[in-house]
Amino acid sequence: MEFQKYEIEPSFYDEMFHRDGSPRQHCVELHATLSDLTELDLSTMQERVTRSFYDEGITFIVYGDEAAGERIIPIDCVPRVLANAEWRHIETGLDQRLRALNLFLQDVYNEARIIADGVIPTDVIRDCPQYRIEMRGLSALHGAWVAVCGTDLVRTNDGFRVLEDNLRVPSGVSYMIATRKAVKANLRGVYRRSNVLDVEHYGKLLLSTLRDLAPPGVTDPTIALLTPGVYNSAFYEHMFLARELDAELVEGRDLIVNDGYVYMRTTSGLRRVDVIYRRVDDDFIDPLVFRPDSYLGVPGLLHAYRLGNVTLANAPGTGVADDKSVYAYVPDIIRYYLSEEPILANVDTYLCRQPEGLEYTLDNLEDLVVKEVGGSGGYGMLIGPHSTAQERQDYAKQIQANPKNYISQPVLDLSRAPCLIDDQFEPRHVDLRPFVLRGNETRIVPGGLCRIALKRGSLVVNSSQGGGAKDIWVLPD
Amino acid sequence: MLSNSANGIYWMARYMERASYMCRLLHIQSEALVDRPVSEIQFGWRRIYTAINRNPLGGVQAVGPLDDYNLVDAYLLTDELTFVRDNPESILSCLERGRENARQIRHCVSDQMWTALNTEFLRIRDVKLTDIWLASPSSFYEELLAAIDRFSGVATATMYRDEGWHFFRVGQFIERVQFGCSLLLTQKMIENQSGELAEASWRSLLKIFHASGAYDRTYSIEIQPDLVLDLLVTDRRIPESLLRSVDRTTQELSSLGDGPDAATSGALRRLAGRLGALLRYDWPDRDDRDEVLRQVLRYSRQLDSLLSKTYFNYAFQGVPRSDI
Repeated sequence: MEFQKYEIEPSFYDEMFHRDGSPRQHCVELHATLSDLTELDLSTMQERVTRSFYDEGITFIVYGDEAAGERIIPIDCVPRVLANAEWRHIETGLDQRLRALNLFLQDVYNEARIIADGVIPTDVIRDCPQYRIEMRGLSALHGAWVAVCGTDLVRTNDGFRVLEDNLRVPSGVSYMIATRKAVKANLRGVYRRSNVLDVEHYGKLLLSTLRDLAPPGVTDPTIALLTPGVYNSAFYEHMFLARELDAELVEGRDLIVNDGYVYMRTTSGLRRVDVIYRRVDDDFIDPLVFRPDSYLGVPGLLHAYRLGNVTLANAPGTGVADDKSVYAYVPDIIRYYLSEEPILANVDTYLCRQPEGLEYTLDNLEDLVVKEVGGSGGYGMLIGPHSTAQERQDYAKQIQANPKNYISQPVLDLSRAPCLIDDQFEPRHVDLRPFVLRGNETRIVPGGLCRIALKRGSLVVNSSQGGGAKDIWVLPD
Repeated sequence: MLSNSANGIYWMARYMERASYMCRLLHIQSEALVDRPVSEIQFGWRRIYTAINRNPLGGVQAVGPLDDYNLVDAYLLTDELTFVRDNPESILSCLERGRENARQIRHCVSDQMWTALNTEFLRIRDVKLTDIWLASPSSFYEELLAAIDRFSGVATATMYRDEGWHFFRVGQFIERVQFGCSLLLTQKMIENQSGELAEASWRSLLKIFHASGAYDRTYSIEIQPDLVLDLLVTDRRIPESLLRSVDRTTQELSSLGDGPDAATSGALRRLAGRLGALLRYDWPDRDDRDEVLRQVLRYSRQLDSLLSKTYFNYAFQGVPRSDI
């Protein structure tokens, strides 16, 4: 099917095409293959990909919309291709960023030099709800407070920028692998010819990372993945990863803390657990320390952690480093700890906690995206250009009532990539979430989850709000 | 293996086995609706409802007179037993609960097992009785039964023979003992009450146990209830006879290691042994066969409870220092 009707808009970077409509060099092979396929081939392929997700039960439930039942994340069968040089740039930048953020976490929970040196104002940290006082004085093995990170990147005509650092319990990696499996099965020829770099060994890298983080003296650690349970929207991923790791998938009720050690209840008795890859938020992880009404966590878990008898990956309290106020300081954090210039740029950010930031935000609401500092998942934000006057007025009141809770950013011209929409190629805005692992070294698979804003013109890529996903092909040198 | 995972596998197997029994019962019933006398159809409904210990729609008592079933509509009963989610014993409920358990322990079973179960559930999830009633309900049950059998076959062909496998098999066999025993008791109870020798109902019972051909070969085509009972209870060549299911349960339990408490583990194995002895040595000599069947049912329920105490929900009694 040809791309004649495909619209290229110069204000948006197109992932497949130059402005003159010719395919970018690293997309030539895929472009030719797609052009040779008929409309029927493509719709059949799309159907097969979708079917495979249903059959394998790669589904999720949207909070607040449980009645709608299980959904799959809509998968677009047209991959997004990245040239090797582009990927190397991203990879180096992500490594740099995560090293700096881990140093920041170690510092902020210990000497807090960065505050003493005036790089970050005290109140930014003090007011951050994700700063966990209970973690003061603790260190993470190999400095890996964040062992698993899922950074959101976007591309504009000016290059890649980091939109968010997801440092708590980032998800989506199972979709990355499932999408790869489904798409490569349907585009076998071009996949082989392109020598696309593999992402399916992610589980092995994660296992190596978690093994790195075993408590001292434990040579063959028992690893468990802690899930909130089957009703969590990411449960498929938890199950998938437990399998990849050959680890037990445990819920809070399966674990017991005794004498400062963590045990899981097995059919032959209690068995000690050394490393917990936890997919439960800080708030719920230990009712004795955090939310007392949590049934998802394990009483005494933080005590065992503090004693160094169990590793939690990621460590509690990492949310302070992906708070949206702190985000604005990440370039300074990189310069402060590494004495390097940031490789990946931030998005310009205005902090409403600062008078000038607040004034600018309120004066330009129509042109800005405003977000809650602790928000995620695309919830609770205002997209100025897509909002009504009434919505802006209401949102302005919220900001004025609690300015510290908000930041604003310019609306980005997110890049677009061809997607199969109603059996036609149409451009849609996309982002990119690579997954970075940090044990005693940085490990990263080439690629990530490419999220798509499926509604025409929309910039919201979150799966809970109508976003989809597509495969990312990183080509070799 | 994590206790919770073992529990999930065990219940997945039980729900799938239960779905299979319900499917077989409804398959026979759907065929009976075509050309069998009303009394036989009524008997069939009552057998199902008594076996699952549930009162049917319309205020009818499951153990009431057969005539009561004239009052209710076969369509409604079929729907309630097949698709109604509020009925925990309906086929859809069993499949749904089997799948929910499977979803939680997917990492412990093969991909093929999950896919077999998931695709079948998705296939029938949105089917309505109106979609099958006028065409051919019996074909629907045949296909569904084939899919459930396929799930079991796929499990046998692909599941790793670790503890999970043994819990899977224990679940299958305990469900067979319990459901099979309930069916036999129901048959005796209804028959005793009505005082009729309903040859057709004994024949259909043999079919439910996949034992019709075996009976004809072993005895004759003439139905004698005592012989049918003997066959279904003690003939180990019948895959779902009670004795075979109990023996296989015992075998699977001995393949499992001890739970954390040796006393509970011992009690579990002794109970399984006692159940086998009851069927093997007491059954042939006892006249009060209803009572023996009731005893079998009691023992099998205790077995389920002890299994849980031994492996799934044992009391936490501290950790031995050596493990620290």
